[in-house]
Amino acid sequence: MFSYTTRSAIGVGKRLRVPVPVRSLSSPSLPNAPSPEPATTTQAGPAPALATGSPDAEQPSEPRVKEWSQRLRALGEDTRLPRSVQAIYSRPLRRKAEYGLPVCDLQLRSYSVQNVEFFADFAIRAAYYLNLPASGPVPLPRIVERWTVPRSNFVHKKSQENFERITLRRLIQIKDGNPQAVQAWLAFLRKHAFYGVGMKANVWEHDSLDVAKSMDASLPEVEKTLRPHLEQFGQRHDNSADRSIFDVLDSDRFAERKNL
Amino acid sequence: MPQPRLLDLVKAQCRIFSLTFNPQRLRLGNKILRQRLRGPALAAWYPRKTVSFRDLQNTYKPLGLTTFDEAEDDREEAIQIAKLRGKGRPKKKRTAAESRSAKKKK
Amino acid sequence: MSKAASMFRSKKLDLSGFVNTRLIRDHNKRNAFEQMEPERQALRYMIRNTTLPQRVRAQAQLQLSQMHVYTRPTQIKNRCVASGTARSVFRDFRLNRFQFRMQALAGELPGVKKASW
Repeated sequence: MFSYTTRSAIGVGKRLRVPVPVRSLSSPSLPNAPSPEPATTTQAGPAPALATGSPDAEQPSEPRVKEWSQRLRALGEDTRLPRSVQAIYSRPLRRKAEYGLPVCDLQLRSYSVQNVEFFADFAIRAAYYLNLPASGPVPLPRIVERWTVPRSNFVHKKSQENFERITLRRLIQIKDGNPQAVQAWLAFLRKHAFYGVGMKANVWEHDSLDVAKSMDASLPEVEKTLRPHLEQFGQRHDNSADRSIFDVLDSDRFAERKNL
Repeated sequence: MPQPRLLDLVKAQCRIFSLTFNPQRLRLGNKILRQRLRGPALAAWYPRKTVSFRDLQNTYKPLGLTTFDEAEDDREEAIQIAKLRGKGRPKKKRTAAESRSAKKKK
Repeated sequence: MSKAASMFRSKKLDLSGFVNTRLIRDHNKRNAFEQMEPERQALRYMIRNTTLPQRVRAQAQLQLSQMHVYTRPTQIKNRCVASGTARSVFRDFRLNRFQFRMQALAGELPGVKKASW
């Protein structure tokens, strides 16, 4: 998507041949232009080359500024950002739930509003692109913890100080999504975890009424995976000498006690 | 419904869900077996040792790389100065007789 | 069976941060408890189980009471991680009330602020 914007920027430079740096011209002329555009223009490269290329054209450029701005505005109207980039400037898109069967509850917790709001927004956008219908973010009740501490020794108990910690929570619910897509969504969120935001997910899986049959069918595989663990389980060989529990209890530790 | 039938039902229920069938309500101590082990959580209270600068020094020394621990150098220097001033630590008493004589001198 | 507490001491200090004799002792107790907890639970189960013969239960009682003191959970006391103090330690932060106040004012405890309402 960024290659698209850079290409357009290069095109502008070629046609304009402005001695003035492109950035100073384009930013006032496109007041509602999104922020990535000027950033890419400066990175694009042709701007400094142009500035050095035609120093003698500095005089006639000034009366033509209006024209440039008009042309640039026209350019801004004709071309557009990719839809996915444009979507960032508006509210998150959502899929519509067909059945409304809850599949996953994601709870986000943080101590700061910005972090949790930002990440909730991010999670909902990610859910949209994974084709998951998400509802929320629902602001859950804040958890307020308060502590009162004496400022110094107990002698000065009358002078105390209060501290508090407020945990903000947001709930995002995924409805009738594919379980694998939900797992992918959760993995994606964990990969791009935001600082200071904790996540907790309850995932529900729904199965047909023939669960028992499918479980029976999958049993041999499960046993195979469990075998290395179960091999470790059991009585130790050095521990299982031919002694019953009575012998153990009689002999070791109670010998001294018995003599008393 | 007659009592034995109900008991049979409960028995079957216990067998299916692998519960202990205990109609007399004997104290079997199973609640101990149900408890979680608290040991790992309790043992994790204090922060465990992590890598220190000394470890780094020890690993790099065999490779022929020198490292400088300024805090350690300062400490050794201070000890040297204290020794010169006659304020260093007293010599370790190896035998009981030595320690006794040291006390008597006072 | 020797009653020396040194058997639960690790050969090399495995703690970082603030270290104190009492803190190390508590740490040793925690390790001892963790090590012997299954055995303790097994004995406790034998004691509570009324269907076992009386002799077995009595012997289990005896054995449980003869285990080292350090293996008892009641020996464990929460101590401040930053100062080793044993009084008014907050479980949430593992800090003593004074250390808690200092660190909270320094902004080292995430989310903890001075409250006024």
